[in-house]
Amino acid sequence: MTKPKISSDWMAGCSGCHMSLLDIDERLLEIAELADIRATPITDLKEPDESGVDVGILEGGINNSSNEEVAHRMRERSKILVAFGDCAVFGGVPALRNMCGTQEALQRAYVDIESNDESGKIPNDPELAVMSNVRALHEVVDVDLHVPGCPPDPDVIYYVLKELAQGRMPEMKDENLHWH
Amino acid sequence: MKFFRSHVLVSVDPECVEQGAHQIVDALNDELVAQGLIDEIQVLETSRLGDPARFGPDLVVYPENVHYANLTVEDVPFLVEEHFLKGRIVEKFRAKETIVTDDELGAPKAKEVRIVLRNCGKIDPHNIEEYIAEDGYQALANALTTSTPEKVIDEMMRSGLRGRGGAGFPAARKWQLCRQVPDNPKYLTCNADEGDPGAFMNRRVLESDPHSVVEGMIIAAYAIGASMGYVYCRAEYPIAVANLNIAIEQAREFGFLGNNIFGTDFSFDLEVRMGAGAFVCGEETALIASIEGKRGEPRPRPPFPAVKGVWGKPTNNNNVETYAVVPQILLKGADWYASMGTEKSKGTKTFAIAGDVVNTGLIEVPFGLSLREVIFDVGGGIKDGKQFKAIQTGGPMGGCLVAEHLDLPLDYEALTKAGSMMGSGGLIIMDDETCMVDIARFFMEFTQEESCGKCTPCRVGTRRILDILEKICEGKGTLADIDRLEMLCEEVMKNSLCGLGQGAPNPVVSTLKHFRAEYIAHVVEKRCPAKVCRALISYEIEPACTGCMVCARNCPVEAITGERRQLHIIDDNICIRCGICAQVCNFNAVAVLS
Amino acid sequence: MINLTINGKQIEVEDGTTVLNAARQNDIKIPTLCDHKNLTPYGGCRLCVVEVKGMRVPIASCTLPASNGMVIETETDSLKKSRNIILSLLFSERNHFCPFCQVSGGDCELQNAAYDEHMTHWQMQPQWTNFPVDTSHSRFILDNNRCILCRRCIRACAEMSGNFTLGVEERGSATIVVADTNVPLGESTCVSCGSCVQVCPTGALIDRSSAYLGHDKNMTVTRSVCRGCSLGCGIMIHTRDNRIVKITGDYENKNAGTLCETGRYKTLDEKRTRLTTPMKRVAGQLTATSWDDALTILASNLTSNKNSIAALASTRLTVESMAAFKSLFADGLGNDVVTSIEEGRPTALQAKYAEANGESIEGKLDTLRTADCVLVIGADLSETHEVASFYIKRNMPKGTRLIVVDPSENGMDDLANINLKPKAGTDEAVFDAIEAAVIKEGLARTDAKTSKVSLDVALSACGLAEEDVIAVAHMLAEAVAPVIVYGKGVSAFGGEAVMDAMVRVAKLTGASDSERRGILSVKGEANSLAAAQLKMDVPFDVKNRKVAYLAVGDDFVSKRLVKALDDIPYVIVQASYESALTERADLVLPVSIWAEEAGHALNTEGRVQFAEAALTGPEGVRSNLDLLNEVAKLLNVKLNDDWRTALTARTSVVEIEM
Repeated sequence: MTKPKISSDWMAGCSGCHMSLLDIDERLLEIAELADIRATPITDLKEPDESGVDVGILEGGINNSSNEEVAHRMRERSKILVAFGDCAVFGGVPALRNMCGTQEALQRAYVDIESNDESGKIPNDPELAVMSNVRALHEVVDVDLHVPGCPPDPDVIYYVLKELAQGRMPEMKDENLHWH
Repeated sequence: MKFFRSHVLVSVDPECVEQGAHQIVDALNDELVAQGLIDEIQVLETSRLGDPARFGPDLVVYPENVHYANLTVEDVPFLVEEHFLKGRIVEKFRAKETIVTDDELGAPKAKEVRIVLRNCGKIDPHNIEEYIAEDGYQALANALTTSTPEKVIDEMMRSGLRGRGGAGFPAARKWQLCRQVPDNPKYLTCNADEGDPGAFMNRRVLESDPHSVVEGMIIAAYAIGASMGYVYCRAEYPIAVANLNIAIEQAREFGFLGNNIFGTDFSFDLEVRMGAGAFVCGEETALIASIEGKRGEPRPRPPFPAVKGVWGKPTNNNNVETYAVVPQILLKGADWYASMGTEKSKGTKTFAIAGDVVNTGLIEVPFGLSLREVIFDVGGGIKDGKQFKAIQTGGPMGGCLVAEHLDLPLDYEALTKAGSMMGSGGLIIMDDETCMVDIARFFMEFTQEESCGKCTPCRVGTRRILDILEKICEGKGTLADIDRLEMLCEEVMKNSLCGLGQGAPNPVVSTLKHFRAEYIAHVVEKRCPAKVCRALISYEIEPACTGCMVCARNCPVEAITGERRQLHIIDDNICIRCGICAQVCNFNAVAVLS
Repeated sequence: MINLTINGKQIEVEDGTTVLNAARQNDIKIPTLCDHKNLTPYGGCRLCVVEVKGMRVPIASCTLPASNGMVIETETDSLKKSRNIILSLLFSERNHFCPFCQVSGGDCELQNAAYDEHMTHWQMQPQWTNFPVDTSHSRFILDNNRCILCRRCIRACAEMSGNFTLGVEERGSATIVVADTNVPLGESTCVSCGSCVQVCPTGALIDRSSAYLGHDKNMTVTRSVCRGCSLGCGIMIHTRDNRIVKITGDYENKNAGTLCETGRYKTLDEKRTRLTTPMKRVAGQLTATSWDDALTILASNLTSNKNSIAALASTRLTVESMAAFKSLFADGLGNDVVTSIEEGRPTALQAKYAEANGESIEGKLDTLRTADCVLVIGADLSETHEVASFYIKRNMPKGTRLIVVDPSENGMDDLANINLKPKAGTDEAVFDAIEAAVIKEGLARTDAKTSKVSLDVALSACGLAEEDVIAVAHMLAEAVAPVIVYGKGVSAFGGEAVMDAMVRVAKLTGASDSERRGILSVKGEANSLAAAQLKMDVPFDVKNRKVAYLAVGDDFVSKRLVKALDDIPYVIVQASYESALTERADLVLPVSIWAEEAGHALNTEGRVQFAEAALTGPEGVRSNLDLLNEVAKLLNVKLNDDWRTALTARTSVVEIEM
């Protein structure tokens, strides 16, 4: 019986969730025994297998067209898609930007900010991804599991991965939900 | 007691007197004596019968109910001989009645039976005596002097009168429940808030026949044992408020309100309280809160108002129409009332017909008429030759009914069973150029605006439902949105505190049920089949165009270009879908596409 | 009793119990948000809906009275789904981004409710129009974007403090919580009692002083008694790392969680410099020294002057400390000027009256909380004993009437149904006039036929109008539960005759009878009554004394008091903070503040309460009681530590409850 394949990627996030994943420390070896960890931003392979994976994990919300592509790609190639961390689950910190609007945020960051001189300019190269408001993963694709936390606790991540690796849906309740 | 075969009522209105009314009376008496008819015909003096300037001096003869006008003393002998001896009406003396011009009411249409509306347009609402002349306050007098509260309730019970506000709860049973509560003082309230858009039945009665409501309320108060009543009238009906206040003042002067009415130990007074622009105050507990001077928000039930209402005391609340019909029922008898209508819905009901029919306006028909009769016979059918699509009954809390329901009888049970409700009587008829998704959105916009905000499901749920409907009408909806719509509707209906929230999703649910295909078209094909939703339609000029340039000149955003006598073109990116070009085109060359 | 079934369990509850409370009493948990055990149920959030057999739709259990035979289900799948949706709707309504909120992580009832329902994410993303955040108030912040419109704050402002500042404006989803007619909170009629902040379930209302300083789970909570005034409201002191983060009301005490600005906030406004080492005056300068040295100096000084001491203790000290103080200086060392910082002004009059008549004429605060007519004389409750004013204000919409008698401006003037402004110092005549009016109008509850003084004479003495006094007579005598509240204005200036007149009026109007005592006095500071009972209520007369010993603790000291010490050769002060008094002192001994010393308090209604210590004082500081015990030992005085007996040695104007 082949090991289930797990792949992850990140979008509008800080990578903290992946750091928390690494914080499961030596238990990572246990997970590697149970599952075949394929592409992640922190390993060699960068794109999930075209032939598909069993579990797709996405950190970060969607804040531009490039993120959207990543989200759709992972959804297409995963049997189970996991929204990993607060940004993916509901937008998280970047979603603060929605309260004032993307344009105003860009204006502040690139032009008005005190640390810039008068030559500040909002980047608008055609090759850049088109920005949108910050969205949760489930606003763009269907999500099968939400693992909230900023970042999720390593113990929770270990539990979730272990369950998924053995073909079970983890129970997200009580201590697995409370942010420590 | 002497029985006369005829009565002659001569108007001794001061203006008629100036014109010689007293002399007419004397002349009549003299002539009747001379003809030996004085024991058979009685001459009486009465108040104004008609406009003295046009008709005076005038009189009316009963039982024929003939109105003779502009009489002189010289006319009297001829009149007596012709009318009373020979039994012939003297046409040349007859008053030329003009048809009662009443913009909204008009003459009764086919199948109408006017009981609630019987006096509207016929009597002067500022004159209590005209109401009395139409048997006004007779029922009250009978009830107080020859009957008992229990007997009154009994009679009302047998009549089968159901509350006309919308719920259709048997009125007498409500009175009975309140009567039985061992607490006092007791209060009466009249729901004159009439908030449903397009409903103006109550307004008519309040403006044109306020005494019928006043009398009904006094009788109800007697039956229940209430000592104070409030008419909660929406502030947007200033004439109704004014006329009610005049009526109440006059009723007090005549001793129908106040202490010891008709010399009995029953005392009752009435006050008008005005609303402040909140549809939710038509809900009885919110209405009560508003009367108490508090924010108009509903309260949990139990306890029910019959037990704890105004100021925490037993209160009976009924609609304007319910009270207005009470005097007639007591005068003419429960059997008479129960002879009209269907088995469970007795009597008549006023309806306000609005929408795409030929005859819009108020009607009053017995229950049991089919929707088809109401729409096509009384309503005159769909106007402009279009097709019937749906009829919305019960206002923003009701559902829509479609062609398959047209033969259903108009009664409480049938409408509820078909997925709608009677409501207060608003009927909105829609033709095939109506977008049902847009209709659902329209009603939800209304209920969202009017939600009081106390409970979460209604306050937020209607907002979320409206967001989805707006999204769909803008062409951004998904199938998942429709699923969420259905789920939200169910939850809002179940968990809301009052009838507003519980009923607000009804238009959405019923349009989804009968017109799901329209929703799907909006969502999947981004198309509005009725060509209403602006984001989903476009205007195109067809070959029939003669290049007359009228459309280009009228376009408010200059989206149309074209040379004289050449086919004109609409720039889709500029066009705002106002439809003016289609309206002004004399050649039907502008098509709406979706 | 009512019998009903919840989730298959047969239970029995008292008549009038709601289904929610019936469940709570039987350990069945139903989630709630807008409900609060101390406020009237609202029925708005709908989280507590339950299925009732025979009813068409789910009903809110918080407002549903239990009735016989009811069959209730609280955990059906349909209800769980509804709860999830209701919470989702709430989250989607406004700004509930948890990461940016100070109550997130355990103190937010909305978040906790979501966790309880195992919600991992929002079904609907939030969509709202920003409301401005009101930061105009010096003590708290109102953020309507975090509000779930539970209306607890509005109910608290009405039912706890009776201030009625908060309300709502607009309707539907545009509803916002506003102050008065939508003015900035900092410019409104708000009295900063903080009841709203205490009950807010989310981060919509937060304390500036405690925000972001820790969650409830990080704090130690100590049950204590407020020392702000003589009402002795129950408080909970929340500390972290030996620092007070916030003070909240104790729901289980008689004040049921209500506090005023003084008790909740002003205690934390401390700006004075703390004393941490004993100091002695050497060559005109105060210099630090050791405890041994200081105590040696003290012992020698007191021993040589043991009969020439004028001793004064703050009424903020614990009862134990005050009793020890009295035992030491009066009983032990035989001095007659042993008094409190109040010098008997708020208490001496009624204490003498009680002793002379052998009667406790005053009632408990419950009488005030349930009064339907209150006459306040010689006290500005809104200034000095604010929670007492809350007890009156919150009942006024239910019909309680207020009569204020004050020659000068009184904070409750605008609220009063009748406002009397007699000539200053004529309280006896005022009561005489009311007595005469009651008898004249035939309203007397006793069979008294004549008044001590005629109405005309009394009116002319106090300068009031006849119609006003007649109106007062009616209002008091026709009430079912009238109460007379008096304060320092009467006690400090009146003679026994005033008390007599007051008692006569109380009996005539039915305020006091064989079963009820409808007279209350608010007295002074925290242990004002204790001072009276210990006879520490004489003027602080320092003439010809050699030493003044002032145990002021953390109290504030007036300029007048410092000036009075001008001619005294030697001044010893035990205090917590630097002040003009310590500047004047010759020997300064650093002691605990109120929250560092456990002990008992005796409030104005005679209730003895124990207050735990919530903090550990800085090194070098002694507790007041320890210090006094040590001084006694040094002077070979055996202290009587039976303070309970000491408190009841003389008849008290109000019965003392141990």
